Amino acid sequence: MNVFRPSRSALSSSALSSHPARRRLAALLAVGSVLTVTGCAAAAEAGPAEDITITFSSYNYGTAGAAGEGTQALLDAFAEQHPNITVVPEAVPVADVLTKTKTAVAAGIAPDVVQLGYSKLAEALETLPIQSIEDIAGDEWTDHAEGINQALIQTGERDGTAHALPYTVSIPTVFYNADLFTAAGLDPESPPTSIDEVAAAAEAITAAGHYGVYFGAVDSGKSDYLTQSVINSAGGAIVNEGGDITLDSPEAIAGLTAVQDLTTQGLQPAVAVDDAVAAFSSGDLGMLVMTTAVLGNISAAAEGNFELRTSAFPTFSDEEARPTHSGASLVVLSDDEAKQQAAWEFVKFLTSKEGYTMITEKIGYLPLRADLAEDPEYLAGYFAENKLLVPALDQLATLAPYLSFPSAKANQATVLFQDNAVSPIVLRDADVKSTLTEVADRIRDLVGAP
Amino acid sequence: MTVVLTAAPAAVADSSRGRGPRAGRAWPYLTPLLVLLFAWVYGPALFTGVLSFLEWNLTGAPGGFVGLENYARLLREPEFGQAAGQTMLYAAALLPFSTIVPMFLAIMLWQRPGRTSTVYRSLLFLPVMVAPVAVAVSWRFLLNPLQGLANEVIGVIGLPPMNWLGNPASALIVIVLVTAAKVTAFNMLLYSAALSTLDRRTLQAARLESASAWETTRFIVIPQLHKTTLLLGVLSIVLAGQWVFTNVSVLTQGGPDGVTDNVYYRIYTLGFEFFETGMASAAAAIVLLFFALASLGWVLLTRSNLRRSSANR
Repeated sequence: MNVFRPSRSALSSSALSSHPARRRLAALLAVGSVLTVTGCAAAAEAGPAEDITITFSSYNYGTAGAAGEGTQALLDAFAEQHPNITVVPEAVPVADVLTKTKTAVAAGIAPDVVQLGYSKLAEALETLPIQSIEDIAGDEWTDHAEGINQALIQTGERDGTAHALPYTVSIPTVFYNADLFTAAGLDPESPPTSIDEVAAAAEAITAAGHYGVYFGAVDSGKSDYLTQSVINSAGGAIVNEGGDITLDSPEAIAGLTAVQDLTTQGLQPAVAVDDAVAAFSSGDLGMLVMTTAVLGNISAAAEGNFELRTSAFPTFSDEEARPTHSGASLVVLSDDEAKQQAAWEFVKFLTSKEGYTMITEKIGYLPLRADLAEDPEYLAGYFAENKLLVPALDQLATLAPYLSFPSAKANQATVLFQDNAVSPIVLRDADVKSTLTEVADRIRDLVGAP
Repeated sequence: MTVVLTAAPAAVADSSRGRGPRAGRAWPYLTPLLVLLFAWVYGPALFTGVLSFLEWNLTGAPGGFVGLENYARLLREPEFGQAAGQTMLYAAALLPFSTIVPMFLAIMLWQRPGRTSTVYRSLLFLPVMVAPVAVAVSWRFLLNPLQGLANEVIGVIGLPPMNWLGNPASALIVIVLVTAAKVTAFNMLLYSAALSTLDRRTLQAARLESASAWETTRFIVIPQLHKTTLLLGVLSIVLAGQWVFTNVSVLTQGGPDGVTDNVYYRIYTLGFEFFETGMASAAAAIVLLFFALASLGWVLLTRSNLRRSSANR
């Protein structure tokens, strides 16, 4: 990349301007410099000409395994292409992203770019000084946004402009242990496609002496992406188009009852999601239904241990499955123009074809530009060899939008939903209907929606 | 030197009653400490009190005056009441581990001086030295319901595996026991210090009277430890909720069904997870008021007891 750095000694030396001949030389140099600037500007990528440092708060950075290594690879690649922009990464636990960002904003030390989970985005857009990324990008926006999943871009819109770009996005999928399937007399070539088939497969695996299935609905990051996927697939939604709270609808009750039945029938261990992932990684659990974000770590654990396969999120009714996505977007908080431009260069790289390719190959999130999976220059070869993401990739086209409760208390409402309804229902045999009704009323009261 | 030692207490005594000629001069010497106390303790406490009447999400400018609405909302939501009840349970459950257990451990080690006793005391004290989060994370691995060592151990004696932290019936007990290891170890050290100051004449008298070890412990040692026990008991009741904070945060986040929650973790959740700064401040004000009234009651009770015993003499 060409980076023009004006030489102060060449342009502003008083010695040069004091003599007529020198003045002419100075004028020539100035004209030459202007032409050089124009040429460079045409050839170089847009962005700050001066050296600049920005901070990047990320919950993947610094973690052990594929997510941390992949994020570091992205930072290294960006640093190589943009030597004048220094990105200082800041690690933050996934459950604390909103907390840390808000306290940093309150303390006046807000990070410039933040990897923000979708379950926290609605509240963040209401309460944090998130800049319009579309405005920062200016003329570059249209070309850059073309090809990115539009549903995900719309999720990050506020006041008609995009404030968040999708970064690391995944869809819940069924990871299954083909060896346990075979040992239980099941055919690994025909994985379950509906919740009833999941229950039947789990029963066979449990009878063979292992744990059957685990739906990661009680997410450790307090996200409700899997809960929403279940309710959507059962024909419901947590919020309807008019903004009414509908998490106690008959469809929602039916969906969560189906997941609870797995627990009460002894087919699903009533444990925390981290414990279930550990059990699946060591080959003790037959099926794990959760985000593809764990693919990198699970693949590494399965290697040489058992044959890992994946299948699409199961149906919960006669309709097709409608999982929603989890993962994170990128938002810019900096109000400094130079930092905003540097942040845009960084965000642009992370969400470019190259960035999304690295994110898929190295971490296991889905490619958010539809053409990448078939482009031989990018991910066609990868998907030809790695089939584990294919089921989720196929469901990306029919992705249900991630819904948030209205108001600036969206995150609080989500935590209330997960802690007071989903957790007791899925793990502790709470009465589904009365629990959902009670929590729905509390959320209505909290967010002021009908 | 002797003059100074005898004169100083008299001056302090006079000042404390406010009648001495130097009483007024003491205040300037206390000013630096009072300034720091106001800056770091009373000032923030007052600020918290003010915030409890406002609506503020921390990131924007403080919102409008909402009167007692934050208090009303706090008392309406079931979580705060439950957290208050659980805090009392923690206080009650940790009380024996901060008084009786460390006292008997300290006495046993005191009665058997030597290298073995020193090594044993060091081993018991080890949990205090380890970083709290590291201890909690270790327990998380040990208590993993599917693959943890704890279930392997109880499996050896034929017991079924337990979901230690996911079962409401066991989660609070686990948090108490995990916290108790550290509290007991620390308080054992304080009891050991108290034991080194026992009146040796009464111990020698008991030996001359051929008192048994138990009789000596029961009638001479334990009564002389009553001030230490009283202090540690009060501290335990006041600080139990804070002691369990790290373990609750790492192991259960207040769950399952809120059984491991406590008021301090609830204040943290309201303030730094939900950014309900006004409600968090109201909760902090209620906790402060509760302990202030409890302390006042305790002081009045102690004073009346002292007066009664003086009158009996």
